[in-house]
Parts: sequence; structure tokens; C-alpha cells
Amino acid sequence: MHLRPKTIFAVLALLAMSSSLAQSADESEQLKIAALEALMSAPPERALPLVTKVLNSNNSNDVKSRALFVLSQIDLPEAQAQLLDVARSGDGELRGEAIRMVGIGGNAEALAGLADLYSSGDEDVREAVLEAYLIAGDTGAVFQIAANANDAEEFGAAVEMLGIMGAQDALRRLRERSNFSEILIEAFAISGDAETLRELALDGSNPETQARAIEALGIVGGESVNATLVEIYQSTDSDAVREAALDGMLISGHDEGVLELYRASDDVREKRELLEALTVIGSDLVLDVIDEALVGDR
Amino acid sequence: MNEDTLILYYYNDGLSDRERRQVETAINADTTVAAQYETLCRQLSELSDAEDQPVPSHTLRRWHDSIDQAARQNQPGQKKPAGPFNLFSFAWGAAITAALAIGISIGVYMTGNDSNTPAPIIEVADVSTVVPASFTRGIKVHLQDTQQELASLPLDASADRIMLILQIIEQNRFFERAAEHNNSQNLARVLRAFEPILLRLAADDIAPEDAEALRAQLAFELNVMLTKLSRDTSNETQST
Repeated sequence: MHLRPKTIFAVLALLAMSSSLAQSADESEQLKIAALEALMSAPPERALPLVTKVLNSNNSNDVKSRALFVLSQIDLPEAQAQLLDVARSGDGELRGEAIRMVGIGGNAEALAGLADLYSSGDEDVREAVLEAYLIAGDTGAVFQIAANANDAEEFGAAVEMLGIMGAQDALRRLRERSNFSEILIEAFAISGDAETLRELALDGSNPETQARAIEALGIVGGESVNATLVEIYQSTDSDAVREAALDGMLISGHDEGVLELYRASDDVREKRELLEALTVIGSDLVLDVIDEALVGDR
Repeated sequence: MNEDTLILYYYNDGLSDRERRQVETAINADTTVAAQYETLCRQLSELSDAEDQPVPSHTLRRWHDSIDQAARQNQPGQKKPAGPFNLFSFAWGAAITAALAIGISIGVYMTGNDSNTPAPIIEVADVSTVVPASFTRGIKVHLQDTQQELASLPLDASADRIMLILQIIEQNRFFERAAEHNNSQNLARVLRAFEPILLRLAADDIAPEDAEALRAQLAFELNVMLTKLSRDTSNETQST
């Protein structure tokens, strides 16, 4: 097989790895990293044994971490299995990196192997596994972690991750299965699930939950959500709900809605609050309102 | 109508629902805009062809400008008030807080997941397993640009550094979505994996040596991906 000069360079450099060259440790390390970079130009079956050698030799964690990334890009099942091995047996720093690489590799078997690691791992391992699932886009695995969580903290971390992944269906299923939690509202907002939040925002059975959901609608934002917030503000008799709706408009930056409410109000105290809200939003519309207030015609 | 807006409309990216409707109305009501959009669709469709035609540099430039515009739309001064709602307990802690505080919201990230319809150009991926050559070239340009931007990144805790990183993140998300739609799940995963590192790099309390280590890691991973892409392209050329 014809090897390109880059590959030859890489192989030579790798062979030189265990020998004591008259180089500084830093230069030697840089050379190894450069060799690993170039190794990607070799066919996978040629690259794999060389990367394995780097991982099994007495190299620094920096060099081994780079080798793990190269391993994640070798499209052979053995490479993915090896990543999982390091994830299981490596030391702290290397283990975290190997878990990330399993996520990047995206191999279904290796990803499934992370579940055991999560169960038996410490906080760092658990965080790394969740991040690996995020990278791999494996919402099913994160859902399982949330559904089987042993405590609120574990549940919260998984639910937040589902929010970041935009896994609206999984979050809705969790809402049905678990005790309702404030963290779920945040996740609905992060995932952009206006529909579920609107449902919660219009449900007055739990005022605290309702207020949270209304505020969270502001995070989702958008024309339809803004209209809902104005509608909630106008139709409620509850001060807390009205305040939450105004907070929602503040969060979404819905200055036109606030202006509409300002102009519709005859209550001086309420007008003052709405004017303050416009100022906080930083809206140019506030100048119109100030002008009107100073002239005194509205 | 501004061509950048039409490009964003075409890719179903970076425009709010209201802005999309405005563009839609303009296309339906104004024959000039309709013709302009038709021409643009033709040009952008050509980009998705698997045939090995070079991407016109002006198109690439425009593409990047569009991304820049989308990034600018999420910068401070565009009224993104912070509310009392506590969202800031993500896995990436302080880093993502910094990112959110200056205007990049997770909502933007999720645009691709809950937006109305998939971008038309990248539907190619749903009917074929071929990765369009134009996409591969585009991703190479993105990786090279990211390399250069990271190399020139100031490592002191300045607002410029944070803004630059957030801009890289925006571009990265754009290409990550494009990768998903263009049958490049591996690339999408790699690009997604860059984001937590970029967010850590954006943290304003990061020590210079830690920032340098993260930058070196990204530089390495970008190089490896560029080498891999070149290898794959070269193999395809040799086998045809």
C-alpha cells in the first residue's frame, strides 16, 4: 500500500516515541501530537494499532487524550470498544475524555456501555456521561437516567440535559410519570415547548407552578407566546399572575405588548409599573410613553 | 429585499416567525422579490449537487455573512433582558451563564429542533446516503476559519474574546445542523462536542493556562478532522 509522506512522518514519529531522544519533554510531546494528527491520513486498519500503542505506552495524559480523539475517528468497531475500555479503566482525566469520545464516536454499543458507568460512577463521571449522550444526541438514554433517578439532583441534571437537547417528547413523558418539579418547567422553556408551558400557564390549580410557567413562556418568546402573555395579563384577577405575565414580557422583550397595556390602563400605579418595565426592556418605545406622560394626554 | 434575509429564509434559520412571514408576504406580493428568490433558490440548489463543482467564493462569502448576521441578531443591544427566572444551572455552569448573559440563548440552539420545516436544500440527505461534495467543501472552510479565529483569539479576559467565541459557536451550530441534514452524523457529533469546550473557553474567569490548553485541544481536533476530510475526499477521487 502506498503511504503518503504525512503518514510516513507519523509512523516514524510514533516509532521514536519510546526512545529517549535528545529533545526537551515539551518538544517531544509536540512531535507526538503532530504525529497523531497526521495519522488520520492513514487507512483505519493501519492507524488503529499505532494509536493503541500510544495509549498503552508511558505517555502524558495530554498525548493520550489526543490519541483518544483520533481513536474516535477510526471507523472500526474495535476502536469504539477500546474507547469504552479506557472509559471504564482510565484514570480520572483520561476517563472523562474517553467518555466524551464515546459520545463523539456515536457507536450504539459503546453508548449503551456508558449506562453501567453512569450507575457506578461519581459525580464527574455522571456529568461526562450526560455530556456524551448530548454529543451523540441520545435522548433515550438521558430519559432513562431521568426516569430512574434516585434523587432530585440527579433528576434535575438529566432533565436539564433533555431541555438542552430539545427533547420535548421525553420531557412530556416525564411530566406524566414523575412528581411535578420546577426543574421540568425550566427544561420545557429551554426546549422551546410553548405548548406545554401555555397549558401550565392557564392552569390555576397551583398558583406557584402557574406563575413559573408564565415566566418561562417569556424565555420561549415569539409572537404567539407574546400574545398569550398579554392575554393572561389582561384576563386575570390575580396580582401574582399579572406580575408573572409582566415578568414574562420583560424576559421576552415584548415592548409592544407592554406599551399596549400601558395605553389601555387608567390606573396610575399600574402605568408606572409598565413604564418601568419598558425602561428595563430598554425599548425605544419608552420615549413615546414619556412624551405622552409629560404632555399628560394619556 | 436584502439577499441575506432571503438566504436565511431559504435555510429556515435565523429568522423569527414574524420575519419569516414578512418574507413570505413579500415573495407572494412582489414579483421582483419572487424572481430574486427564485434565482437564489436555483443558486443554492446547485450547491447541494453531489457533482464536484467548486463552490463560488462569493456564495461562500455570502453564506458566512448570513451566519454573521444571525450571530449579530443575538448580541446585546438587541434587548435581551434577564429575568428573575433562574435558568442558569446547566452542566457547563458558569460558562454557559456567561454565554446566556450576553445574549446567546439555548432557544437559538434549539431552532433547528423545533422549527417549522427542514431546510429544503439539505433534504437531499433524507433520500440518499451521499454526502454532497459542496457540503464537504463548506465544512472544510468552516473548520479552517475556526482554526484561524482560535489562533488569533486573545487569551486575556476581554469582552472581545467572549464575543469572538460566541460568534464561533453560532457558526458551529449552523454547520452542525447542516451536517445533520447532509448525512454527516459523525461530523455533527464532532461539531456538537466542540461547543462545551468553546463555552468553557468563553468563561470570563478561566485561567490563561487553562484557556491555552482548551485552545490547543480544539486546534488538534480541528486539524484531525481536516486531515480526515482530505483523506476521504482523496479516496473518493481515486476510486472514481
